[in-house]
Amino acid sequence: MIGVGKIKQYSNVLDRSLSKGKQEVSLSAFAFLFSELVQYNQTQVDNISELERRLEDAGYAVGARVLELLCHREKGNRRETRLLGILSFVHSTVWKVLFGKVADSLEKGTEHEDEYMISEKELLVNRFISIPKDMGTFNCGAFVAGIVRGVLDGAGFPAVVTAHFVPMEGQQRPRTTILIKFAEEVLRREARLG
Amino acid sequence: MIACVAVIGHQNNPLYIQSFTEADDALKLHHIVHCSLDVVEERVNNPKKSGPTLNETFLGLLYPTENYKVYGYLTNTKVKFILVTTDLDVRDADVRNFFRRFHAAYVDAVSNPFHVPGKKITSKTFAERVSNIVKSFGLSSAG
Repeated sequence: MIGVGKIKQYSNVLDRSLSKGKQEVSLSAFAFLFSELVQYNQTQVDNISELERRLEDAGYAVGARVLELLCHREKGNRRETRLLGILSFVHSTVWKVLFGKVADSLEKGTEHEDEYMISEKELLVNRFISIPKDMGTFNCGAFVAGIVRGVLDGAGFPAVVTAHFVPMEGQQRPRTTILIKFAEEVLRREARLG
Repeated sequence: MIACVAVIGHQNNPLYIQSFTEADDALKLHHIVHCSLDVVEERVNNPKKSGPTLNETFLGLLYPTENYKVYGYLTNTKVKFILVTTDLDVRDADVRNFFRRFHAAYVDAVSNPFHVPGKKITSKTFAERVSNIVKSFGLSSAG
């Protein structure tokens, strides 16, 4: 009886026209791919900083392409020339396209003029990753930092972007912060634009 | 009749130049494209009016020469698209439409993980799509 029902379902499925498909990729598929990426890079390098650099370079390529794609898809097509404009673009639009939600917060650094922080309670890429104790302060969010660096570089705002764990009291898992430090020329240009 | 299309990178290096006329004046077309880069720079650095049109991507008619018209389009990553056409009456909407489809083909070509940003675009699919867009541009503006 169950077999008969299934056969009917199959012939109907073939008759239906193809759907456009969802614009999303399953989290488990991405988690598998990302874990393989990290493992592959781990076998190629000797130390932590080299591993972090490789993940960041991988993210940089993604970021450059994401910028082109998003600027084409956005209606209204404006080119961002102001610092706050590009930061809010990264914080909302890029995050929405990549992770399905906007980033948790965007803050200006208090110590230096050229530092900004985007923080997230738990980065999607880090969800299934636990760092062994002997790796110290390594953070797989370096991949996301690379993506942000790719977007900023392509838009004309060269910056150094890193990912850090920030322990929060009251929560067992530390928050992740993407620290963006803009280059000198960006600040000079921003001051000139007024 | 479209004479030539070109994609120029953000350091003014050519990424893709294709001419669509049978004559051998490819060099002259390259020269026209090169000169139009100066006009683009000038438009970008000295915006004519401030406000909502400050950061438009479509730059419009750059400059008319004796029998060519040159149109420009600037993307968010400072990549410029230049279109050289010999048509005398070209509608603005047609050119915008052309650039929109051209931008779509360009984004698809750049999304290729084997494409190195800053190098020439060598994808055959991109070349085919561009020639399709060019052919349909001629037909739509004739009517």
